[in-house]
Amino acid sequence: MKQDTARLVERLCIASQGDFGSPYEFAWPERLPEDAWHFSPELLSIAGTPTGDSLSAEEARRLSFLEAVNFFSLNIHGERALLEGLASRLYRDDLYTPYLHHFLDEENKHMVYFGTYCLRYAGKIYPDRKMALPREYEPGEDDFLFFARVLLFEEIVDVYNARMAQDKRLDSVARDINRMHHRDEARHLAFGRQLVQELYERHAPGWEAATLAAVRRSLVEYVTAIWKEYFNPDVYRDMGIPEPHAFAREAFASDAARARRREISGPALRSLVSAGIFEEEISL
Amino acid sequence: MKNEAEIRTHLAHWVAERSNTPPEEISGATAILEQRLITSLQLMELILEIELLAGNSLDVSRLRPGAFRDIDTIYKNFFARKVG
Repeated sequence: MKQDTARLVERLCIASQGDFGSPYEFAWPERLPEDAWHFSPELLSIAGTPTGDSLSAEEARRLSFLEAVNFFSLNIHGERALLEGLASRLYRDDLYTPYLHHFLDEENKHMVYFGTYCLRYAGKIYPDRKMALPREYEPGEDDFLFFARVLLFEEIVDVYNARMAQDKRLDSVARDINRMHHRDEARHLAFGRQLVQELYERHAPGWEAATLAAVRRSLVEYVTAIWKEYFNPDVYRDMGIPEPHAFAREAFASDAARARRREISGPALRSLVSAGIFEEEISL
Repeated sequence: MKNEAEIRTHLAHWVAERSNTPPEEISGATAILEQRLITSLQLMELILEIELLAGNSLDVSRLRPGAFRDIDTIYKNFFARKVG
């Protein structure tokens, strides 16, 4: 274990202890205002596309609610996988258990916020389409992929959280959830960036070239899969859009969506290039 | 909705394209997951493709990877009753 990671973990544990909150004290209103924004309009999946531009103000606000529910749903699914992966790695002497406890605690609380919002105001959580297939790994490959995927997932989510936490057009419930999530994620990201680099340096030199290539491919596939979740056919069906799957595919492939993906995930992907994990910036 | 032969051909081409395999080598019984012709993350895309062909969403939380074992199984699970 690296000394600078150990020092960072010590600081993060102190910060988490000082920022210990309860998700059960949140004041949930009976219902949300119908004429409010719940997701920043510029971040909507179809913002900047002809269909997005043709929505009435009422339709755009309705879509903003459904996309908030989708955003919180995909966070629930991502964090559920995260909790499973963190719990299975507790008390290993080559990882950082004291901080993993905080990580688990904070992610569990986030799920309470997200789940309460979805169930209270939408009556549902949009289903997850990801399914893990068992496979064999080279030494350290599983740990590296797990933490690298967590980092990429959180880097993207955090851009949304940070922007929507500041967006005064948003209804206060959505804004507050984004704000609270962003506050904890800043610590998780600091930990994740350091740990991913450490795991890569620890394990990658022992991998065959084919394994390293497969790891890189898997991360590219993962980022693409994350992004596809932001273009959920179930959301478009709830909006009354005909042929929602074909619509989702077109929306994903649109120039506006491509530019947004590059803008939002570019910094995280470039940092993986700087760390030597990717050879060049990937195209989304 | 496409008929049975069209659905099977569509799925075989979809798998072939992702696995760099000639489509004629993907039969109804080819073990897509066991042979690792697609990855976990591509399975999510396959689910979207099945939804697109079937015209409805799947409740993945109730499914196991075995439901996508091969094209025969996929057809039986997600299309047989609809196409008839």
